[in-house]
Amino acid sequence: MNIFVQELRANLKSLLIWGVIVVLFIALGSSKFSAYAGNPEMLAILGSMPQALLDAFNMRAFNLTTITGFFGVMFTYFALILSIAAAMWGSDIISKEERDKTAEFILTLPVTRSRLVTAKTLAALVNCIGLLFITWGASLVSAASYHPDSTFYHFLRLCMLALFIIQLTFLAIGIFLGCALKRYKLANSVAVSLLLGTYFLSIISSLDKDLEFLKYLSPFKYFDASVLLFESRIDPFSVGLSLAIILLCMVGAYLTYTRKDLYI
Amino acid sequence: MGVIEANHLTKYYGKARGIIDVSFQVEEGEIFGFIGPNGAGKSTTIRLFLSLIYPTSGSATIFGKDCIKYGPELRKEIGYLPSDVFYYERMRVIDLLKYSASFYHKDCTKRMHELAELMELDLYRRIEDLSYGNKKKVGIVQGLLHQPKLLFLDEPTAGLDPLMQRKFFQLIREENQRGVTIFFSSHILSEVQRLCNRVGIIKEGRIIEIADIRTLQQNNYKKIRIEASNLDASYFDLPGVTNLEHHNHTVRFFFKGDINAIMRRISGIEVSDVTIEEPTLEEIFMHYYE
Repeated sequence: MNIFVQELRANLKSLLIWGVIVVLFIALGSSKFSAYAGNPEMLAILGSMPQALLDAFNMRAFNLTTITGFFGVMFTYFALILSIAAAMWGSDIISKEERDKTAEFILTLPVTRSRLVTAKTLAALVNCIGLLFITWGASLVSAASYHPDSTFYHFLRLCMLALFIIQLTFLAIGIFLGCALKRYKLANSVAVSLLLGTYFLSIISSLDKDLEFLKYLSPFKYFDASVLLFESRIDPFSVGLSLAIILLCMVGAYLTYTRKDLYI
Repeated sequence: MGVIEANHLTKYYGKARGIIDVSFQVEEGEIFGFIGPNGAGKSTTIRLFLSLIYPTSGSATIFGKDCIKYGPELRKEIGYLPSDVFYYERMRVIDLLKYSASFYHKDCTKRMHELAELMELDLYRRIEDLSYGNKKKVGIVQGLLHQPKLLFLDEPTAGLDPLMQRKFFQLIREENQRGVTIFFSSHILSEVQRLCNRVGIIKEGRIIEIADIRTLQQNNYKKIRIEASNLDASYFDLPGVTNLEHHNHTVRFFFKGDINAIMRRISGIEVSDVTIEEPTLEEIFMHYYE
């Protein structure tokens, strides 16, 4: 409990900074949207753009002039921001003890290493949930003035659920890297590179039918906003795949961290 | 049963040598000095005891229990002062100490304040603002506040001014008198000599001697200096003689063995002066390291 509370305190500032980033991003996005809202010219402009480009930014499936369509496009960016935050928290929260050489303090106290991993994972999870709620709240506030219908609220809920699973996936990947990498200083950059790598994979996989299999390598592609909107469901296979990744990473994290030499 | 028992502890970092086949025992209530130069494997040994790292082979027990399997439980009774103290930079001293105390299921507040007062530690400063010596003081308070039964001190005096060193030694002696076993690692021999009952000497990862400090000084070596004209150094080149030096009319050497053999040699020549002394630990130590 003490480690958990301590970590929450230590990470509060980071959560607030990410929260501000998300709120600013939403504010910026919705101010742009006010120009698109109910504007048919916008559709014409989008229609003249190359299809591949629209696919890459996940803009084809949505009618950008409606608030629901607009959030459908925003979903991709939410996923990116929230997962970067999750991956960074995950890779940092455990490996920082080695980086700052405080492992020699915390792990010479009467704690097991697995308790440390558990407490820190939970603290990072709380941060992720906090950021998700900030995203959700800011989205609701910014959408309110467009008087969205119930479809929108349902869609937003599904989006948040999907975002949460993506967050968890990258949190687990980050934690695993932070625990497993011998060169713990790399954990952060490896986690974020991996994340951006899979993000670009998700773009590439949407460009060409032959490359579609790549989507299994990218958690971003597990949850397609257009499916969330038009089919109003979350793909159970994707959920299963995400859970498998999370489970694998966490088991790997516990196994490697409890067996690892801590170099100080 | 020893409080600490190391059984053929070996640690390699990849191919790099950490320690090799280290075995020794530390008895309850003693102050055990662990000496050796930088890089000999002192910190490696301590980190193995604290299961921060795991041995390549061999094992160690503390209070009769395996130090890895029962590590977390054993560490309730262990205090550790690392050679370099690292804490969370952004925390205040008091918060760090309270955080540390929260891991022991007892009230450490009183002891914490006693120790802080003794070490003249300002509890309300941030860790990042502290000097090296002041961080070390935080380490001392943090390592002792839960009244451990076993203390690992890794070069504890580095960074402390002489006055604080004296207070610290006093504190260690008091702890020892209350029955605390102390494992004292250092490369400063005079402090080991002042404080310890027994020493282990480690060189390039191997234990090369474990002895009572007094036996080490008294029974083993004599430091002999002979002044005479027409001296030939090789005259004293007997079995048991080491570090033979010859300057002008003076011969110096260490001797280990039957003192009568050397006395007979000395009486065989005309000498102008003879001194036979106990070597300081420092000299013994240098001897081992050559």
